[in-house]
Amino acid sequence: MKNRRHVSLLLTILLIVTLVASGCSPKGGSTTVKELSGAGATFPYPLYSKMFDTYASATGVRVNYNSIGSGGGIKALTDKTVDFGASDAFLTDQEEAAMGAPVLHIPTCIGAVVLSYNLDVTSALKLDGTVLAEIFLGKVVKWNDPAISALNPGVSLPDLAITVVHRSDGSGTTSIFTSYLAAVSPTWKSTVGAGKSVSWPTGIGGKGNDGVAGMISQTKGSIGYIELIYAVQSSMPFASLKNASGTFVTPSLASSAAAAAVSLPDDLRVMIVNSPGKDAYPISAFTWILVYKEQNYVGRTLAQVQALKKLLTWMLADGQSINEGLSYARLPAAAIQKAMVLVDSMTYGGSAIP
Amino acid sequence: MAALPSPSDRREAARERVFTAASLVAAVALVATIALFLVQLLVTSRTSWATFGLPFLWHSEWNPVTEKFGALPMIVGTLVTGFGALLISTPFALGIAIFLADYAGKKVAEPIKYLIGLLGGLPSVIFGLWGLFVLVPIVSKFEVWFGKLVGSEALVASGTTGVGLLAAILLLAIMILPFSASLILEALLVVPTELKEGALALGATKWDTIQNVELPYVRKSTVGALVLSLGRALGETMAVTMVIGNGMKMPTTLFDPANTLASAIANQFLEATSPIYVGSLIQLALILFVIAIIINVLARVILRRGIQQ
Repeated sequence: MKNRRHVSLLLTILLIVTLVASGCSPKGGSTTVKELSGAGATFPYPLYSKMFDTYASATGVRVNYNSIGSGGGIKALTDKTVDFGASDAFLTDQEEAAMGAPVLHIPTCIGAVVLSYNLDVTSALKLDGTVLAEIFLGKVVKWNDPAISALNPGVSLPDLAITVVHRSDGSGTTSIFTSYLAAVSPTWKSTVGAGKSVSWPTGIGGKGNDGVAGMISQTKGSIGYIELIYAVQSSMPFASLKNASGTFVTPSLASSAAAAAVSLPDDLRVMIVNSPGKDAYPISAFTWILVYKEQNYVGRTLAQVQALKKLLTWMLADGQSINEGLSYARLPAAAIQKAMVLVDSMTYGGSAIP
Repeated sequence: MAALPSPSDRREAARERVFTAASLVAAVALVATIALFLVQLLVTSRTSWATFGLPFLWHSEWNPVTEKFGALPMIVGTLVTGFGALLISTPFALGIAIFLADYAGKKVAEPIKYLIGLLGGLPSVIFGLWGLFVLVPIVSKFEVWFGKLVGSEALVASGTTGVGLLAAILLLAIMILPFSASLILEALLVVPTELKEGALALGATKWDTIQNVELPYVRKSTVGALVLSLGRALGETMAVTMVIGNGMKMPTTLFDPANTLASAIANQFLEATSPIYVGSLIQLALILFVIAIIINVLARVILRRGIQQ
């Protein structure tokens, strides 16, 4: 009797293992037009899930979006297991070459990265790009450094060490922030550079926005970068930044949208950091949905491709009204116009999608 | 009396065969999984091997922008935190186990055992949160105090964060304590009563008995318990990430932010896109795998020597 119990137990375990293993095997390509799938950036995830929810109730087409990170999204699109990818950084030439086919970058919203800090000061801290780069390079190490005092007249800054907090995980946020530093500081550009993950000259790393925010609230004298939405939601203080036209700008939906009010390239693969606009907040950036220009691959049906095109068009039109309620800036009209042209340029078997 | 096998005997034999086959499959699956792990790690990290070769092990630059990678800071971080935690937790683990086995009465021992089990079952993210919000501020105060003690201006100035190697070592020491303590306790509990009573009958004190009878008897299981705990410390990811500061540079003091192999992988893998970056991260996993194997083999060698003497 005991033996039999053992046997059945073992067989059950083996059965479970087999089931789990078979469940992990790749899905067949039998997606219907009732369902589209995407994967990628975590930053726009709250926006996308709300948009796709609204879209599903309006049209009956469900969109599965996995916020596995921009890197994962790019990989999924390269492997052609999703209809679209999503990324906070546009593809480098090398990455685009690895995709094997031209990829379109469709922006969906604008995000801003803010400098949050833990300091007992009476008014909001003011910084400019040069000083910010010096702080993150580990050259300005005290809060009462003359360079910081000069930007904050009338504010008494303490004799306290500056603790730099950065992201420890690769992220689009880091890419946006380091692109800004590289744009304003030649030293930063040559010694550190820009990317989703960089070799930080100084500071401690926190995982995710919450990790960085936790470290900041924990450490007196710290400064770190987080997404605007996160700072607003967790009511953390953030600094005003001097933009390219010399004005101190407080990060907000309006000021980050203003950063996109510049002449944009037709492919919209552009960093809008350090934007010249007078009211532009300088650390702003698009987040993109990535799709192949030629949509006839791995046996995709025309109906499926049409559904994808309809979804993207909707996200650029009606979908935009969802942005601000969730603290994402809307795309300016000029960007929408160019994005629509990109969506229309998608092809199926070489000809335009009807 | 060689009668024909009865139907029930045959059923019994068939059952036996099925059971043997099923066990064999399970055992082979385990070996195959480990072998496949190794093969997969080797294959997916080949771009990194091809580019950096062996110096990957002792280069200390980790720069995703220029795509120059070296694993030394993470190897050092992993070994320092793992062995540091083991060093701190072992005396406590031994003390707890001996106390529970030989000194505490049942009424005291049972609740403590229950608490140890509870501590061992806590998800590591909870340890991480506790570490970040409770342990780190204490370490930070200690750091400033220590900096003043040795007169180090730099330490006092940078010592305001508290995150770093020391915080990770202390947190890991607490996390592995339940494992080593309960494993050593189990070993102590099976020391034959005759041996203990024999020693006591010869006039040995309780301490003599523990020292000369019980501890030598459980040496093998104790080393085994410590190796298992070390394994957990080396592979721990979430809690370490939250308190170690995630610095990718070579740490120079115990207060510096550092990183471990596991924590670096967990942090960077999701957004790594270029093949060389991904390959380097997988190579970190390979190194962790090899470190785990080396430690297990070493433990066995030490054990065998100990027994021969």
